[in-house]
Amino acid sequence: MGSVERGLLRQGLRYALGLRLVVVATASLAALLLGTAREPVPATAMVLLINAWNVYYAVRTLRGAPRWLVPADVTVLSAVCLLQVWPAPTDGGSGSTNWVSAAAAIALVTYPWQLGTRALAVATIAVMTADIGGAAIADPDGWLAGLGLASIPIRLWMVAEVALSWSLYRLVRRSAQAADRLVARGERIRRDTAVAAARRDDEREYLAALHDTSSATLLMVGAGVAAGGERWLAEQASRDLEVISGPAVVSQREVDLVGMLREVVRHTPLRVRWRGPAAVPMRAVDAVMLSHGTREALTNVVRHAETDSAEVAVSVVGGEAETVVVEVVDSGRGFASDQVSEHRYGVARSIVERMTRIGGRATVDSSPGRGTTVRMECPRTAPESDDGNVEIIATRFQRGLLWATVAINLVILLLLDLPKLLASHDAYRSVAAQYVAMGGFVVLTLVVAAGLLRRRGLGRWRWPLLALVFVLSAVATESVPPDQRLGYAHWSEGNAGWTVVLLLLDTRPLIFVGVLAGHYLMTFAQTVLGADAAITFAASVNATVIVLAFQLGVGMIAIVLRQLAVSSARVARAEEEVRTTEAVAAQLARDRRERYADLAETTVPLLSGLASGELDPGAESVRRSCAVEAAKMRRLFAEDATVPDPLLHELRACIELAERNGVSVTFAEFGERPTIPTGVRRRLTEAPLWALATARGKVRLTVVGSDGTVTVSAVTGRPTEIDPFPDGDGVHTSATVDGDRLWIQSSWQGKS
Amino acid sequence: MISVVVVDDHPVVIAGVRAWCSLADPPIQVLDAGPTVATAWLPPGNGADVVVFDLQLDLTGPAYGDLKRLVDAGRQVVVYSMRADRETVLNCLDIGAFTYLTKAEGEDHLVAATLAAAQNVPYLPPMLSGAFGTDNRPDRPRLSPRETEVLLEWFRSESKEMVAKRLHLTVRRVNACLERARIKYANVGRPAPTKAALVARAIQDGLVQADEL
Repeated sequence: MGSVERGLLRQGLRYALGLRLVVVATASLAALLLGTAREPVPATAMVLLINAWNVYYAVRTLRGAPRWLVPADVTVLSAVCLLQVWPAPTDGGSGSTNWVSAAAAIALVTYPWQLGTRALAVATIAVMTADIGGAAIADPDGWLAGLGLASIPIRLWMVAEVALSWSLYRLVRRSAQAADRLVARGERIRRDTAVAAARRDDEREYLAALHDTSSATLLMVGAGVAAGGERWLAEQASRDLEVISGPAVVSQREVDLVGMLREVVRHTPLRVRWRGPAAVPMRAVDAVMLSHGTREALTNVVRHAETDSAEVAVSVVGGEAETVVVEVVDSGRGFASDQVSEHRYGVARSIVERMTRIGGRATVDSSPGRGTTVRMECPRTAPESDDGNVEIIATRFQRGLLWATVAINLVILLLLDLPKLLASHDAYRSVAAQYVAMGGFVVLTLVVAAGLLRRRGLGRWRWPLLALVFVLSAVATESVPPDQRLGYAHWSEGNAGWTVVLLLLDTRPLIFVGVLAGHYLMTFAQTVLGADAAITFAASVNATVIVLAFQLGVGMIAIVLRQLAVSSARVARAEEEVRTTEAVAAQLARDRRERYADLAETTVPLLSGLASGELDPGAESVRRSCAVEAAKMRRLFAEDATVPDPLLHELRACIELAERNGVSVTFAEFGERPTIPTGVRRRLTEAPLWALATARGKVRLTVVGSDGTVTVSAVTGRPTEIDPFPDGDGVHTSATVDGDRLWIQSSWQGKS
Repeated sequence: MISVVVVDDHPVVIAGVRAWCSLADPPIQVLDAGPTVATAWLPPGNGADVVVFDLQLDLTGPAYGDLKRLVDAGRQVVVYSMRADRETVLNCLDIGAFTYLTKAEGEDHLVAATLAAAQNVPYLPPMLSGAFGTDNRPDRPRLSPRETEVLLEWFRSESKEMVAKRLHLTVRRVNACLERARIKYANVGRPAPTKAALVARAIQDGLVQADEL
């Protein structure tokens, strides 16, 4: 069950119980105050007892109803109905209503929220039977004289009310389920997007971290910078290992940025001046990015700025949309920004891309001799996505409720009121006026239904249509002779209100109640002005209460549903966040494990060896292994599915690295190549990459695509030893040695 | 003495060609050098045995028209260009250029190509070889699998010794394959006096049989 449906059932139950409490209390206490009871003392006791029972019933139901509660309730209601001889009015016949009937009706109307369909039917039959029986006991003579027959319509109306209430419940619940499905679909899409985005973020972050750590270390050792077992190298290697095996950083939890930055600052050899607040709580993922960016900026100061001090300043700026700003300032050598290649993986990619990724930005401001300022900003809270769920749920609910009201209105008009009209033909001053009113109400209902079908609201037609309802109602009342008003023939009295409900269902509660009450007042005024009514005031109050309560109930449900849409959307969003976070975390953990597995056989042993001191960074073989691993990482950084030719893109990255190490590379390529899967591409470039990384002097690198076969070939100076390159993934590697030259080529037969 | 005229708008390139020619054995005389094709048509350039021709003299694209006019006048043209794309290379050969060299290949191949052009014997530098080996135009000449293989391996290694070693052939056989491929290309496409002369010479030398073509 979705969050919307759950919310609906909980709220619906609460309001059903509330409605029953209020209506029964109003009707019974009104009767008590009017003092019309035949047996005042037991009647008073009955009023008190039934209200007390209602309270008890409501509380028990909300706390989780025991199995006996509903049967007990049905028994109590039946008992009250049977004993209606006490509170029955002294003067009235069975044709009129007393508060007992009203209480029974409202209890039954609210049952659909508490009972299953079958139990509802049983309870309805039981209570109605008791009510009829009670009426017969209360006035056996009148009953036998035919008044029992006259009371049939009002009982029928009660049964109809129960049926309508039930269909209302079903319709609204179905719209809740539909809303849940919609929300769930939206959630699935958003979650997939979130997972994909997080994977992308984490992948980039991982690569950036790798670039800052392992790659730099291996590159240094490969270039022969570290001669012997230096302490800092071992320490760096073990820190690098932590990064490789570390958990994913993406998380929504809040952490303190300042704490993280202090940790970063502690690891730099610079004297760092610190400015900023004592703590800045923010999303963990953003804080991690900021601290990584800070680390990179400080590393650059150490490497290039030729100064031993820097300043780190943290501030939070902006009003509602707070932005966290971290500045790393040095007064060192500086550089002319137009002389630094944009394609370097260094500052540009590490810092600027990182910040852009989390919705922030970074600027690097420097000029020769004036120091460098790296400024990173990012929003303190994640940008809230605007919540479409409320809209989805609210629309669903409103449509469900409107359809239910259309159905109720048509049933009442055609099945309940039309028979009254037909039976009272002779009583009316003008039968035509009655038919005009009846037809008018039916047409209005159909107009609303048509608007619903075409998914269009009433718009500015609402108020003219409403005026029309009032006119039709007044005409209908006017054509009923004054002595018949509020009586059997006066079908439009309360039921015209349903059309009002239909037209005003989506307006504000105050307008809804006001207009509805206004309609009743108009009818009463017409009745009072027209002299003697058909039934007594007390009876009409009870009759009105039943109808009005139901109408108000529908209006109240509309309001509840609107609130419910908001709260359900909130719940749905919260549940979604939890599920998304779990999905993201699980996926990222899987990704990390896979990536670690990729590095476990090559990079990890090298770094472990360097960290423990088992491997001598000065040894030729270690140096070469490091150079190859660094080149592999360079290739990994260059892996980008979006470039038009990934193979050449990755090879160029390796060429660039080799050229930086003083190797002269001539590169040429010819022919058309099929799309090469990533795994194949890695294996295909393995041997050339090794050749480029270990080469001294000249290298000729060629790529040929011919008849669906891709061949990458490298001719290089012959090294002291040649690594084996096992075949696999359909890639075959072969080497030819001629004098001091080594020619190694790998080819892959794709689909021609 | 073999003479050459250089059409190139880059003074450094001209200086380089002059230097290589003066060191060549036998030496090559540079009759004239200039930035426009007029240098090759006017004295003293019009008397040169070989024209070293930079294909891209301006921004309007490859100077195919100039190349056509030179070829149709029976000049031996060595195209010497920055461009290394297959389409340009094959176009020039189709027009009737003697051979095609990229600027990167100049140091190793320009002198040898010029000498070959003067003697009208096939000359196939690695880039041209790569372009032939990956040619997939419908009207391309039919090469044997061995010829294609040799073309591509020569392109990859730039060493005939290595190709021979790798394919278990003799260097002579490698050369023969390359030359035959070159002749096959001279025998297709646009008719040009230079191409006809190359084919006739090859048949005369016994490089290919007339019925093979």
